[in-house]
Amino acid sequence: MKFSLTARLLLAGTIVLTAFLGLTGLTLDRAFSDYAEKSLQERIQAQTVGLVAAAVLDDNGILHMPKTLPEARYDTLNSGLYAQITSNDGTQLWQSPSMGRQDIPLPRNIAPSGRHFQRIKYAGGELYSFSLGITFDLSEAIHEGYTFTVAENMAAYNEQITSFRDSLWGWLGGVALLLLAVQGLVLHWSLAPMRQVAEDLAAIESGRRQHLEGRYPREMLGLTDNINALLASQREHLDRHRHTLSDLAHSLKTPLAVLRGELDKSPPPEELPAIIGEQVLRMSEIVDYQLQRAATSGRLPLSAPLSVATAARKITASLNKVYADKRVLCQLHVTDNANFRGEEGDLLEVLGNLLDNAYKWCAQRVTVDAALDQDQGLRLSVEDDGPGITPQKADAVLQRGVRGDASNPGHGIGLAIVQDIVRVYKGTLTIEKSPTLGGAKIALFLPHP
Amino acid sequence: MRILIVEDEKPLLEQLSARLKQEGYAVDSATDGEEGLYLATEFPFDAAIVDLGLPKLSGIELISRARAGGKTFPILILTARGRWQEKVEGLEAGADDYLVKPFQMEELLARLRALVRRAAGWTQSHISCGPITLHTTTQAVTVAGRAVELTAYEYKVLEYLMLHTGQVVSKTDLTEHLYEQDFDRDSNVIEVFVGRLRRKLDPENQYNPIETLRGRGYRLTLERTPP
Repeated sequence: MKFSLTARLLLAGTIVLTAFLGLTGLTLDRAFSDYAEKSLQERIQAQTVGLVAAAVLDDNGILHMPKTLPEARYDTLNSGLYAQITSNDGTQLWQSPSMGRQDIPLPRNIAPSGRHFQRIKYAGGELYSFSLGITFDLSEAIHEGYTFTVAENMAAYNEQITSFRDSLWGWLGGVALLLLAVQGLVLHWSLAPMRQVAEDLAAIESGRRQHLEGRYPREMLGLTDNINALLASQREHLDRHRHTLSDLAHSLKTPLAVLRGELDKSPPPEELPAIIGEQVLRMSEIVDYQLQRAATSGRLPLSAPLSVATAARKITASLNKVYADKRVLCQLHVTDNANFRGEEGDLLEVLGNLLDNAYKWCAQRVTVDAALDQDQGLRLSVEDDGPGITPQKADAVLQRGVRGDASNPGHGIGLAIVQDIVRVYKGTLTIEKSPTLGGAKIALFLPHP
Repeated sequence: MRILIVEDEKPLLEQLSARLKQEGYAVDSATDGEEGLYLATEFPFDAAIVDLGLPKLSGIELISRARAGGKTFPILILTARGRWQEKVEGLEAGADDYLVKPFQMEELLARLRALVRRAAGWTQSHISCGPITLHTTTQAVTVAGRAVELTAYEYKVLEYLMLHTGQVVSKTDLTEHLYEQDFDRDSNVIEVFVGRLRRKLDPENQYNPIETLRGRGYRLTLERTPP
């Protein structure tokens, strides 16, 4: 089972949305962390500089810290802000009272003018430290310098980040849910016409409706119009089959009645075999004709255009074999764009019957002309140099099942079949005298749908 | 002339075969496509009548396979539907003519005669070699305008020789084309037919139309008269 359209759209939408919001969240998270770290760095850097400024070097070259420190938190035990000054020859000069007895591994021995940030993990938590290398004379020698280090507990920083993350992902999640809900609604609304079609089709299936009547969006008109065309052609087919069947039954009754009548005569008439032969021929023609009518497909929706030239070549190749003795000269004047929009069997039937008649009646020459008439439809004509068909005969020929000449069986029925197919395609058939060859000219016009 | 009939409707097959035998043809028959194809590939036929709707192997398939196997004898197809699509398919597969069922036996015989004649390169309904003329539609024979009465078998022997004029025709060729598969092939019968033909066609010993080539067969010495 394939995923439904709704499932596909929802799935795709959800994946895209999650990816987009996820990436956005990650970017924001990263930017905020960077910003928070930067401001922490700036703060402790400033505090270090303050500490350096507060330190006093006496005349003996010994470093003193004043009683009043620049930040009250240096004095408060475990305040989270710690400071240490070391001399680079290895001695520890001063520790802020806030450190108490804690053993915090703060960096030492930073070269003069050196700057060093470090995260320090120790038993009491996590610290962010900044160390500055200083000399009070101009010497750059490392053992003559001092290292000032200020470290701040990261709890506040971490808390800030956590709270930012919580609110960031909370909002993003909320937005995602909202967008998904909106997407669901949009899908439901957009796919409503599809559900409508399915319902309408169900209504047709159950016989409550004849065709799709609703107003559908433009994108679906191709589908719904074709379904309607399909339904119409199916109904037309069914009607034609019903008519054909009833015509067949009715037209067979006459010859059967004749036979019955002859059989009932007592004694049986001497010409009984001849009568039976005649009626059998008549019945077989009726069956042929009605079968052809039933086999006519008519214009099926979505049928691809067929090349008339190809079909005509097939038929003439066949007829050239069948009428080999007659050495008929058949010329095709069929343009490349001449095509037939319908079923191949119908086209072969039309060309086959017309050309078979032409080959049968012609003295020597047959021509086929076919071209598109300004995109309105297909014009097709078959001419021969035979005796032609008089207007009176033409009328009779065009009446269903009436034969043009009893001495040449099949002539009438062929044209009647062609006329029937042409009628199904809503075209016209005319019988004329060929202006160029002098015999019969059968001209068809088959309009495009 | 030896004819193959492939038709699955038994009554029709029997009618056809009886009528063709009556006309002097040697007839072999098959009731399905596979058997038909086997016969068509194994025996030398002069023509075949093939129904399109056959069991096991369709008529169209039979025809295209026989043609692919190099068989060139003319084939007449029988179709029940009569739609042009089907006729065109059959003719494209390699058949030479078609008949729509139900057909009149005379029509079938005429088509068959025309096909056999055409296959031998004659386009008209009469065949002429020197003074001898064969009217294939009426099966009448004239020598220099004088009508000659021939039996059906004599006619068939003459027709075969005339269709192959100038070529050596062995006794085996003649028996194979005149008799069906399981016929007792006594070549003396052929000698008798040829002897009678010679007397009837040339009672005065003017033309000596049929030459005997010892150990090889017969040859019609008369040249084909162009139409």
